[in-house]
Amino acid sequence: MAGSLEGFLVLIVAALISSSSFASSIFQPISDSHRSAALELFTPRDGSFFSLEETYEALRTFEVLGIDKKSDIDTAACQSVLEILGSPSSALKDLFYALKVNGILKCDIEKDVFEGVASRLQATVSGAGALLDFYYSVGGLVLVKDQTSKDDLYLADAEGVFGSIKALSQSDGRWRYNSNNPESSTFAAGLALEALSGVVSLSSSEIDQSLIGTTKNDILKLFDSIEKYDDGAFYFDEKLVDAHEHQGPLSTTSSVVRGLTAFAAVTSGSLNLPSGKVLGLARFLLGIGIPGDAKDLFNQIDSLASLESNSVSIPLILSLPATVLSLTKKDALEVKVNTVLGSNAPPLTVKLVGVFRSGSKDTTLIEGQELKFNPESTVYALDALPKSIDVGKYTFVFEMVLHDPDHLNLYATGGQTRIPIFVTGVVKVDSAEISVLDSDLGSTETKKIDLAGENTVSLSANHLQKLRLSFQLSTSLGHAFKPHQAILKLTHETKVEHSFVVGSSGKQFEINLDFLGLVEKFFYLSGKYNVQLTVGDAAMENSFLKAIGHLDLDLPEPPEKAPQPPPQPLDQNLRYGPKAEITHIFRVPEKLPPKELSHAFLGLSLFPLLGFLVGLLRLGVNLKNFPSSSVPAMFAVLFHLGIAAVLLLYALFWLKWDLFTTLKALGFLGAFLMFVGHRILSHLASISSKLKSA
Amino acid sequence: MARSNFSVLTILSVTLLLPVLSLSFSPDSPSDRRLLVLLDDLSLKSSLSIFFNSLKSRGFDLDFKLADDPKLALQRYGQYLYDGLILFSPSIERFGGTLDLAAVLDFVDSGHDLLIAADSSASDLIKSVATECGVDFDEDPSALVIDHKSYAVAGTEGDHTLIAADDFIESDVLLGKNKIEAPVLFKGIAHSLNAANTLVLKVLSASPSAYSANPSSKLSSPPSLTGSSISLVSVIQARNNARIMITGSLDMFSNRFFRSSVQKAGSPKKYDKSGNEQFVTELSKWVFHERGHLKAVNLRHNKAGETDEPAMYRIKDDLDFSVEIYEWSGKSWEPYVADDVQVQFYMMSPYVLKTLSNDKKGLYHTSFKVPDVYGVFQFKVEYNRLGYTSLLLSKQIPVRPFRHNEYERFITAAFPYYGASFTMMAGFFIFSFVYLYHK
Repeated sequence: MAGSLEGFLVLIVAALISSSSFASSIFQPISDSHRSAALELFTPRDGSFFSLEETYEALRTFEVLGIDKKSDIDTAACQSVLEILGSPSSALKDLFYALKVNGILKCDIEKDVFEGVASRLQATVSGAGALLDFYYSVGGLVLVKDQTSKDDLYLADAEGVFGSIKALSQSDGRWRYNSNNPESSTFAAGLALEALSGVVSLSSSEIDQSLIGTTKNDILKLFDSIEKYDDGAFYFDEKLVDAHEHQGPLSTTSSVVRGLTAFAAVTSGSLNLPSGKVLGLARFLLGIGIPGDAKDLFNQIDSLASLESNSVSIPLILSLPATVLSLTKKDALEVKVNTVLGSNAPPLTVKLVGVFRSGSKDTTLIEGQELKFNPESTVYALDALPKSIDVGKYTFVFEMVLHDPDHLNLYATGGQTRIPIFVTGVVKVDSAEISVLDSDLGSTETKKIDLAGENTVSLSANHLQKLRLSFQLSTSLGHAFKPHQAILKLTHETKVEHSFVVGSSGKQFEINLDFLGLVEKFFYLSGKYNVQLTVGDAAMENSFLKAIGHLDLDLPEPPEKAPQPPPQPLDQNLRYGPKAEITHIFRVPEKLPPKELSHAFLGLSLFPLLGFLVGLLRLGVNLKNFPSSSVPAMFAVLFHLGIAAVLLLYALFWLKWDLFTTLKALGFLGAFLMFVGHRILSHLASISSKLKSA
Repeated sequence: MARSNFSVLTILSVTLLLPVLSLSFSPDSPSDRRLLVLLDDLSLKSSLSIFFNSLKSRGFDLDFKLADDPKLALQRYGQYLYDGLILFSPSIERFGGTLDLAAVLDFVDSGHDLLIAADSSASDLIKSVATECGVDFDEDPSALVIDHKSYAVAGTEGDHTLIAADDFIESDVLLGKNKIEAPVLFKGIAHSLNAANTLVLKVLSASPSAYSANPSSKLSSPPSLTGSSISLVSVIQARNNARIMITGSLDMFSNRFFRSSVQKAGSPKKYDKSGNEQFVTELSKWVFHERGHLKAVNLRHNKAGETDEPAMYRIKDDLDFSVEIYEWSGKSWEPYVADDVQVQFYMMSPYVLKTLSNDKKGLYHTSFKVPDVYGVFQFKVEYNRLGYTSLLLSKQIPVRPFRHNEYERFITAAFPYYGASFTMMAGFFIFSFVYLYHK
């Protein structure tokens, strides 16, 4: 409940703000940028547009804007116009647009072709029931009449046709497309009015005034449903939301404008339309700016063209080339008055009725003043701004006074025009000081700072002290100046920022920061703070952002439950940069003695064998016990060969064999060795026992 | 009867869907194709036509809808109908149809792209979509970005809310290779980045003198957003490579700003054309995956001197590693050239982290020695660069220790022992003769 109420309030506030800021926007008449946009948007593809309707839209837009591009489109377009007009089976809509294109291009068309078209259209009119049929056929007949200068082309039963179109109208001023369809549309109303005006111009005799009168009434009713923007722009919108045939506000408005001006052109007598609404329609059409769509641009330009020379009231647009006036450059206040298409206005005087300081609406600063007209540049100018105008934001109120009293009914000036103006100038900055105060107001150090130049003040303070910053602002006229932005910013090394608005009384700006009360807000972060002052305003030409210096702040240690400073965004390089390379450190191999040492000891290990051999020789070893008979000798040789084989097996095992191969071989060798060993040993034993016994 | 109707319907829907499916987003051509544009007002279609036409000319299929269209839907039968969503409807309080905040977030979560432009009329709905993306718009509904130092000089814009911003992020992949010379015109609301969100990036930030406040009322308390912490345009690349662009100015896309000339306050240089068109076009190319989309293929490794990929490495083996990386240019895959692609040989933590060298044709390679630690390792390529889609590749590979017969066989230091045993054996052989046959 509370939330929704809050939301509602916010909405209201937002609505108020938006209405106040848009209350008086400036409308600029059609300019060269429209021309370049038109050339961009209407670019023929391979020399021709897709349809005659598009061709007409392009030609009409170029015609109104005064762009000469006919020759580019000429031949292809005329050819299709001839085709359509010559063919007896072409659609009504194509016929209509072919005639419209011909109206601009003036193609070479035989007279009897027109005759045929005229008779076809006549037949369609008399048999028509739907609004679009009336619109195309009556419109076509009007075009034929214009193009052939045949004065005897009349509708046979003009009043009857008028009546049957009128029969489709609704009580609220809108029209239905046909009698079967109950839905009424504002867009259709515009078409109907255009068709009716065609009927009037085609009628041989005067149409019954009462019929015209009721139609005028319908128009007034239609204008009751007009919608309004906050900036004084009026527009028509289609209520019926049918996705298929939906027309936006622009096409609806331009359809009504075309119908209205066409109807007003053929009927006599005033329509009694308030001129403010016509001006509002012009404002809406201009307020769109430059549409990015060919159809929208055509609608805008075509309806503005019909407003430019209508008989209801011609809107005059007051515009300012610049709403920012600089006092230092002595800019003059210039006002332009044009028609919607940018041509010159009739003789008139522009008066500056009042100047209000924005925010206080009651008192005008100057009395009515006339602006001087410069016929060469067609600009109304005020040479020098009134002396009493200082820098700031103002609302200027202008009024147009037409010189010729006959013009009063012809032109719509819209009464007073309120335009917000910024008057800018240089603001003087004086006596800026920064100081750290003790709590008993005894100043420890005061430093003057120059806010125009560079400053590198360095201060230090603890939590019992205060920081005081003061400066003065005054305008060139010596008045006090209150900028929108006067912000002191303290930034800690860790990028935690604290902003303070510097308050003012008169010219004097001053801020006192009592660190005792700010300890918690500063998150108990001691260390270096950068001090920065920003003073800026829309009317201040010398807005500045100055680094004043830095402040070493000594704050107490944070208690346990102290709030943590907000996290600061990470450095992008840290997240996205490449990582440092890592190479693996391999385990260091064990330390081994040098090769030479091993070889030396290998040599040493051979000495015992040598000693053994030398010892044997010294002992006088003999082999006399070797069996002399052949069988035991053979066993002895085999036995020692076996031992040698086992030793060789060890060597092989060491060099390349694995344990299994070695054991296998050893198994065979062992058995063999056992057998021959047993034989030779028992032989030797028997010999020795024989010897003993002998 | 009913059945025949049904079959006709299926055939119809299949024939209708076929061309749509063939146009849609695929890993082989990652650019978006079908975009849904939600507008507050159909007149925006014409006032933003240059932007839309540039999208169309780049092959996008734009579907314009009013944001409160009752038939709005992002998906049908579980299939997304669009690859990207453009929210140009700042003031919408509630979307039409089945679209809501959760549906938009699901859309992004499934890897689709989002472009949001707000303005001073931004609704809570749009703000909450942005908040979910890690961007906080100023809560004050009347606040605009004001900058009294770097505003755009214009005869009819006096309140310094038309900002000429030129503090761009330095990234070729986001903003294109050509430097944006002219400042970008911005008129709208400020946002700040959520510090806890590491994926969001400030593409265009405000100048240090900017602040976010209501220009027509007096400033009583310090503005919540000041200085360069104000972001004007931000982008997010989610972990699933969905891309989001958020800006507080819808006017930035308008024909009026595109065509407008621009002069930054205090600078003598006047540009005939603002940087908006270039900035917005280049950034939209990034958002819709026409740039900065990488793919890595053919991750290969082998022992030095071999070509086949082994099932296992032994410690201290020398190996070659290579991977191919390509970047999508909008039309084709081009070789990606960078000197900071790294590979990790990883088991719990990286044992080896090496920068790959490339041959300028997309092939990255390096070689290194397998560490003397055995276990199950991974080759990991983690490539996170600003603006590029992140590459996360890994391939598992076991590493074994030496076999028993792979150690060194004849150690020099042991030669004395060998010598001793063999002389012993020789002595034994001689001794056997002496012992048996001496008399």
